Amino acid sequence: MERKSAFILGLFFIINTLHGQIINKVPLSERITGYKINVKLDTEAKTVSGKMEAFWVNKSNDTVSDIRMHLYMNAFRSNRTTYYEELGESPGENESDLGWTEIKSIGDKNGHDLIPRMTYISPDDGNKSDKTVVRVLLPKPAKPGDTVLVKIDFETKLPSRIRRTGYSGDYYFVAQWFPKFGVYEPAGMRYATSGGWNCHQFHATSEFYSDHSVYDVTVSLPVNYITGSGGVLISETVDGSLKTQLFRAEDIVDFAWTAWPGYAVFKDKWKNTDITLLTSKDRINQVERQFTAVKYALEYLDQNVGPYPWTHLTFVDPPSIGAGAGGMEYTTLFTSESSFLMPSFFYMPEMVTVHEFGHAYFMGILASNEFEEPWLDEGVNSFWEARIMDHFYGNSYGRVNHPLLRISDAAAMRLPYVRSQARQEVSNAEYSWNYPKETYSMMSYFKTATWLYTMMGIIGEETTNDIFREYYRKWAFKHPSGKDFVSVANEVVRREHGEQFGPDMNWFFDQTLYGTGICDYKVEGIYNHKYLKTQGKAESDETTEPAGYNTDSLYFSSVGLERTGEIMLPVDVLVHFTDGEEVHERWNGKARYKEFNYTGNREIEWVKIDPEFKIRMDVNYNNNSMTMTPQKASLNRLVNKISAFIQFCLSIILL
Amino acid sequence: MRVFSSLKTGFSRSLRSWKDVLIVWFILFILVSVFMYPFRTSLGSAFGTSMITEKLATGFDIEAFADLGSTLKTLLSFLTSGFMILYLTGFITNAFLSGGLFNSVGKESIKFSSREFFMAGSKNFWSFLVISLILTLIMGFLSGIFILIPVSIISFSETVSEKNAYIIVFSAVAVFLAIIPVILLVADYARAWKTVNENDSCFRALGFGFSQAFRNFKSSYILMLFLILAQIALGIMIMLILPGWKPVTGSGVFLLLIISQLMFYFRLLLKTWRYASVTSHLENTSARKNENL
Repeated sequence: MERKSAFILGLFFIINTLHGQIINKVPLSERITGYKINVKLDTEAKTVSGKMEAFWVNKSNDTVSDIRMHLYMNAFRSNRTTYYEELGESPGENESDLGWTEIKSIGDKNGHDLIPRMTYISPDDGNKSDKTVVRVLLPKPAKPGDTVLVKIDFETKLPSRIRRTGYSGDYYFVAQWFPKFGVYEPAGMRYATSGGWNCHQFHATSEFYSDHSVYDVTVSLPVNYITGSGGVLISETVDGSLKTQLFRAEDIVDFAWTAWPGYAVFKDKWKNTDITLLTSKDRINQVERQFTAVKYALEYLDQNVGPYPWTHLTFVDPPSIGAGAGGMEYTTLFTSESSFLMPSFFYMPEMVTVHEFGHAYFMGILASNEFEEPWLDEGVNSFWEARIMDHFYGNSYGRVNHPLLRISDAAAMRLPYVRSQARQEVSNAEYSWNYPKETYSMMSYFKTATWLYTMMGIIGEETTNDIFREYYRKWAFKHPSGKDFVSVANEVVRREHGEQFGPDMNWFFDQTLYGTGICDYKVEGIYNHKYLKTQGKAESDETTEPAGYNTDSLYFSSVGLERTGEIMLPVDVLVHFTDGEEVHERWNGKARYKEFNYTGNREIEWVKIDPEFKIRMDVNYNNNSMTMTPQKASLNRLVNKISAFIQFCLSIILL
Repeated sequence: MRVFSSLKTGFSRSLRSWKDVLIVWFILFILVSVFMYPFRTSLGSAFGTSMITEKLATGFDIEAFADLGSTLKTLLSFLTSGFMILYLTGFITNAFLSGGLFNSVGKESIKFSSREFFMAGSKNFWSFLVISLILTLIMGFLSGIFILIPVSIISFSETVSEKNAYIIVFSAVAVFLAIIPVILLVADYARAWKTVNENDSCFRALGFGFSQAFRNFKSSYILMLFLILAQIALGIMIMLILPGWKPVTGSGVFLLLIISQLMFYFRLLLKTWRYASVTSHLENTSARKNENL
């Protein structure tokens, strides 16, 4: 009884510590879950093992009989896991290649052994070989307001081929490494019609949906290792060849860390945020680029979405041996990708840094469900990445800025979508693992970014920013769904534009987000007919010209427009006449064919649909315009240059 | 001193052969035009009357081309397969034209005669073709050894640091680049010798090329290095002028064509200077050898 009381007292102490404030002045989230973890990194066995104490608070009105936890390292257990089946690959042949988490013991606050009550489940695909989700039946159901406390002894073996997580030589990137609670969704939350756990298996394309938590993580590891994590280093003690570090992180959805003796550590500051960069000593020449990029992203998102709420941010540029860990996001820790020799005109490292940092907002703060609505995470984040890159690095060259080739990030987003043969196979509103093969990135990243750009083209940049400000204000540190985003968009557009776009914007989202149609507007033709206007009596016979006809230049002109895609969007049309006059038309874009007619003393010289390229969903810009006086100089110039290039190449390679 | 003398003689001989170079330029221009004309027509009809070409006014626009869709794929496959055909045709044509050029930069040749140019080209054609083929294959083999093998080893290694990996790759490329002048010397000596010794086989010529290149290695290498540097200087000049020049009018584009072809003509003159200098160097070293005997 005494032991039991001491244990309960201890757990209360844990909860109290985890609910206390060390980093942020006030809690940013509800803190439904919290973790106190104490582990040791064994650099010989490549394992992370230790103890964990965690709690989950039942904030719902339901009585909950079980808990569900991720054991995502088990995705690397064999080639039969859902992750490797989806990838169609293997984690490797040797035992050292594999990764797994083993729960050695699990008990509740009363000291009950919960191992017999633990079962592996596969809620997504029923795959018996997948052990990435565990269900633990509680000895006593958790009533509304109850706190479930669990104490777990676990061992995690890291996989040898780093795919987001693992080790390579003496390099460690430790993510998805401890048992973590799923999200309990009561009825009415997101799409839940009845209360239940939302705890998906680990998939090839998605891994994030968790409650904002507090983490106290103690790691013991060899003293020569340099570490970085999503938390703040609270204390460090050295005992012989080992050092023990305590990290604390508050209100983040996942905790990852890295260790490598070869790291060089750099620090910078943006407003009240301390920024730490861990990079290879070989890449010191890239440090300035990396800090500049992350500060651009901080500034832009802070200004246009909402404040960055943490006082710390760590990012890692993994060395080439740990390249598999590059381009990942763990809210206050993320990984970039660069190289010792990265041309200054190629903004790939900046792009990855901006993108992965952006996830601190889209998934970190606005903790949407990446499994079920990847567009709300990757797509929205890609949209902001492109805006940031093009804003700071050049409107037409936010991705590549070389005299011979310039590519904007917005174009880099649009092209994979508009050029994909599979762009109509599925809509954006699909679970991540249900996307047909090789359509996931195209749909969730690129199509979303493209329709968000299109939306911005229709409603304007400031309204778009206001939508995201409102989305942040309403949903920060909660779990928004796609319908919540749409609802915010409808509200803001109506508030700022009244009925200009109809009672709501559902017509837009139904076609772009939930639909599979494509958008393509085309100039069908330009017609200029000279008016044969009679003045007085007109006579004619078969042998002479008609007498009395006015040969003055009065024209009946028209432009024919066509909607060849299914999507109907309002478009601007610019008509240019031979006398230099330009007429700006507005077409609601609904009819299959549309004609604009003019009568006057001039002909139509050219016409452009969407002259400012606002409708970025249009899959073919080339048919958006037509001219009666085509200018071939640019094409001829290009051909001349290619000819000269081929001539020089031939003369060089031929002896 | 011998090097400068060879360069000087080579320079005057290449200038003297300007008409022969003009023939080479014209033939290569026609060859490339035959390939590029349909490309130009296809590209023109692909864009049709679209005003998207306005986006090309400031340079290459990836969206304008990507939106061509399947037409772009056709154009790209035309370009790649066309370039392969062009390379093979150019390889054969070059064997013929270099025969004429080596003859005209030789000691005996004084006056330009197109008949003599083409006769020399046809006389040396098969030998020059075999020499070029063998040396091209050797160059391909060496590039595999010096570049592909180190790159493959590094890509599978977990212990080599990134900086060291780059150093190894750059060193390998540097070694390969250092070998290129030797291959060029062998090719040029072999062809220069074959032009004079018409009745000997191309394999003997190749053997002579190797022996001559290594017998007078220092002076030959310096000579070739100087000639290559001159070509690189022209290359840099071209790179500074052509890519950034973006005329938007028809006359401007025509001027671009003229200037680019003029530059290509200079490039051919420099190549001829290489042929002439190596020929002259061969003559100088042979004369000295005879004197010593």
